[in-house]
Amino acid sequence: MADPAALAAVLAAPFMQRALLGGLLTGALGGLLGSFAVLRQLSFFSDALGHSALLGISLGILLGINPTLVLIPFAVLFALLVNQLVQRSQLPTDALLNIVYSSSLASSVLLLSLVESYRGGIQQLLFGDILGISWVDLSVIAVLLVGVATYLTLSLRAQVLLTLHADLAGAVGVRVAWHRLAFIVLLAVVVAVSVKAVGVLLISAFVVIPACAGRLLSRRFPHFMLTSMGLGGGCALLGLLGSGLTDLPSGPSVVIVQFAGFLIALLLSQRSCRRHGG
Amino acid sequence: MLDPVLRVRDLTVDRHGQPAVESVSFELASESDTALVGPNGAGKSTLVAAVLGLLPRRTGQVEVLGHQLGTEGQLPRSVRSQLAYLPQRLSLQGRFPLTVAEFVGFGLDPPGLSWPWAASPQRRQAVQRALERTGCADLAARLLSELSGGQLKRVMLAFCVVRPRRLLVLDEAQAGLDAPASERFQQLLLELRRQEGWTVLQVSHDLDMVRRSCDQVLCLNRRLRCSGSPDLALSPERLVELYGPNVVPYRHHHHG
Repeated sequence: MADPAALAAVLAAPFMQRALLGGLLTGALGGLLGSFAVLRQLSFFSDALGHSALLGISLGILLGINPTLVLIPFAVLFALLVNQLVQRSQLPTDALLNIVYSSSLASSVLLLSLVESYRGGIQQLLFGDILGISWVDLSVIAVLLVGVATYLTLSLRAQVLLTLHADLAGAVGVRVAWHRLAFIVLLAVVVAVSVKAVGVLLISAFVVIPACAGRLLSRRFPHFMLTSMGLGGGCALLGLLGSGLTDLPSGPSVVIVQFAGFLIALLLSQRSCRRHGG
Repeated sequence: MLDPVLRVRDLTVDRHGQPAVESVSFELASESDTALVGPNGAGKSTLVAAVLGLLPRRTGQVEVLGHQLGTEGQLPRSVRSQLAYLPQRLSLQGRFPLTVAEFVGFGLDPPGLSWPWAASPQRRQAVQRALERTGCADLAARLLSELSGGQLKRVMLAFCVVRPRRLLVLDEAQAGLDAPASERFQQLLLELRRQEGWTVLQVSHDLDMVRRSCDQVLCLNRRLRCSGSPDLALSPERLVELYGPNVVPYRHHHHG
């Protein structure tokens, strides 16, 4: 049982208030985009994007440019290049993405090792620093959340049909290539914006775990999107509060809460299947 | 005489830098049922994708309901909303959180952006009616991923029948179904085609079904090898020409 005085102290700290809001927004954003990413089997793609983000940061540091400014265009460009590579290559997608993300990680570590001041800071990049989130970061994430939610809601029919079958969608007038590209660009931007708070190694958990739990718990598509969003935001809040009270690292705490949420969803879905004879 | 629903002239489509379909011309008369047959790799799926504007053409013209297909596959929205395409299977790995009623409802919406929760009574009635007409009323609340192959194919027909359409393109839609399920699907398609006045173009390997159900057959092996009524186009000589000398034409005899 949490000590109320300790909880009040955690909640009173301005950096913690920003972190909680940041966690809520980042978690909801990851859950929302993740709902389509897991259905389109793009989970591994988001992982590769996370690793590429580290390469973007490393390049920014090495070239003396603010990494935040480099990160978004780099992530988008990288996502588009990898997408082209996946579409044109005759190799299996998982093998190709593995090559991309391990090479990105290796290049980033080598680049960072050339910069004296960042030799000790790599852990912060790998696991994120949500406690260091600023009001500017929060505003960017909030605007992105509103934009992504609006786009996915208004194009829900197109998104679902092209997830089910691209030609079925194209035949009834869905602009398949445009929506595919828009989704990949959005995924890249969300990963780039969230990586500072969540970290390179854990970003894909924010996209994949709440959406998989939501998928197990939902029977209607709008409920699935809302459940994934809610679980993403809720798990991030709980994880951060737990981290604040126990002084454990924030990013891993959130992922452990997400995992616990996934296990609960798995149990609930099994019970529901047995009840309905499924 | 009504104008053809689909008119294809000198169509050539490349796949991987090679022509997969070459100099193909044909027309589909209004409310006709045409089968596209040919061996594996003959370019059948490429041809249907190209006539729907889903693949770029190297040469040729495609006219759908009197409108020229643009170079990027563009058609007016009013024409697009009268087309439907039924693939072999949907991408439903694992649990897919979409009910049958939601999916059929998506068939009702016009192309473009829309508010997905506009559940008016008319919309619910249209979905319910489409499900009843395809014998799927009891499946409305089921997830798409919980359906059998035969049920899923009937639900896909409900997606087509939920709004008025003119041209239906099926790419081996009966593949993977057992004989009774395939027969039920074909019967339902025939019934709906007559009621709705659909023009159907279906890719099929089931030559017996093609003989019994279709008005016209297009035999494709990169080029159009022959076309005409099933008796003419599927004669033993034509089949040997299309599939090679090892094909033994055999007719099923259906009793009762």
